[in-house]
Amino acid sequence: MLSDWTYALQDWRTYLSAAELTFNLSLAAFALALALGLLGALARGSSHAVLRAPAACYVEVIRNTPVLLQMFVAFFALPSAGVHLSPVQAGVVALGVNVGAYLTEIFRAGIQAVPRGQREAARVLALGPARTFVHVVLPQALRNVYPAVVNQLVQIILGSSLLSAISVPELTGTATVINSQNLLTVEDFGIAAVLYLVMTNLVSLAAALIARLAFKPPLRTRVRPRTLNPLRRLVPARREA
Amino acid sequence: MNWSTIWSNHGLFTSGLEGTVELAATAVVTGTVVGLLVAAVRTSRVPVLAQLGRLYLEVFRGTPLLVQMLFIYFGAAYQGISNITVYEAALIALTLYEGAYMAEIFRAGIEAVPRGQWEASRVLGLGPVQTFTTVILPQTRTIVLPPLVGQYLSLIKDTSIAVVIGYVELMRQGQAVIDRTSDPVAPYLTVAALYFIICFPLSLAVRRMERKAAPA
Repeated sequence: MLSDWTYALQDWRTYLSAAELTFNLSLAAFALALALGLLGALARGSSHAVLRAPAACYVEVIRNTPVLLQMFVAFFALPSAGVHLSPVQAGVVALGVNVGAYLTEIFRAGIQAVPRGQREAARVLALGPARTFVHVVLPQALRNVYPAVVNQLVQIILGSSLLSAISVPELTGTATVINSQNLLTVEDFGIAAVLYLVMTNLVSLAAALIARLAFKPPLRTRVRPRTLNPLRRLVPARREA
Repeated sequence: MNWSTIWSNHGLFTSGLEGTVELAATAVVTGTVVGLLVAAVRTSRVPVLAQLGRLYLEVFRGTPLLVQMLFIYFGAAYQGISNITVYEAALIALTLYEGAYMAEIFRAGIEAVPRGQWEASRVLGLGPVQTFTTVILPQTRTIVLPPLVGQYLSLIKDTSIAVVIGYVELMRQGQAVIDRTSDPVAPYLTVAALYFIICFPLSLAVRRMERKAAPA
């Protein structure tokens, strides 16, 4: 049993570089998703139906179909429309577009949660709409949405495993290939699972650190799950996106 | 793109739909049961069990569903359980993965119920299990239901991942049609439309419940 693990771990370099690819393409997809989410939220909150309708369509279509299907469409069906993407490109686009739809809703809710009085006060102080948004609304909205946004990055890392189905040599795909060579199923996927755990926990940890530095009145950190803590009822239960 | 081939292959799409619905419906039930049990264990004071529940959540929410599915399906054979079917492997993986998310949804609901309710039930002579099922659980409905149905929605979409280990469902049959017609566009759009028809009403229901639950 132990020798199986040492044997499987001989490929540690391959696993690490695959994890690196997973991490990098997750970050690329996250950047795309953030941009799409912000644009989508602005469009959905716009007063012009010309902007609102396509944004609503985008959110509904993406959120009500599987991400794996979206990856297949980006990789296998887009060439029929004359768009040829490499597996990695198709994967980043599909993941980014997918999570962008979720971030659209998260950002929209976060912007809506900023009290109306803030906008009115900014107006009274003679700030234009653009500066009001950038300097007054956005910083407060970011506070509101921060935990949900970090959660989406974790979802991207987990979701990137599906890219193995369109032949991206990321962590899961690499584990599958190595597995077909050494047949140590439990060890190979065990190593991949541990690397995913490390990545998702590192992201959560880094996010907590950044939050501590970035938010002046510190974000209310999640109360540790305590047994029927009577104080819990003072904190409204928040849904994880 | 050739839409006439979609209708001539409608038998494949219906059988795929059956596979998807069968897996999703079963996993909704088993996942909810697992979620409830884990939430009950985690909010209980039983020391070792509560920590085990926490470890389960860490592992199953911190690793991809696909890896869990591959691990269970191929790992089972490795452990000498060679007669596991793809359906069983997919069901076990979906149950454990979605159950972990559901457990946290239930926990949030359970912990939102004031502690006094437990104490009052105890005074009235109810045991812990009876208190949980007849007093606490019914009160968690407004908090639990919207995210729970949202999780069901994710579960339905996640059944598509079972295609990777070879379970025959909607996505697989869409690919079969592509193999027959060598046109990827129309079959994938059809599959997308079918998922949308299942998921969109659920999305609307979630939104309505959320609006109802939100204090106006």
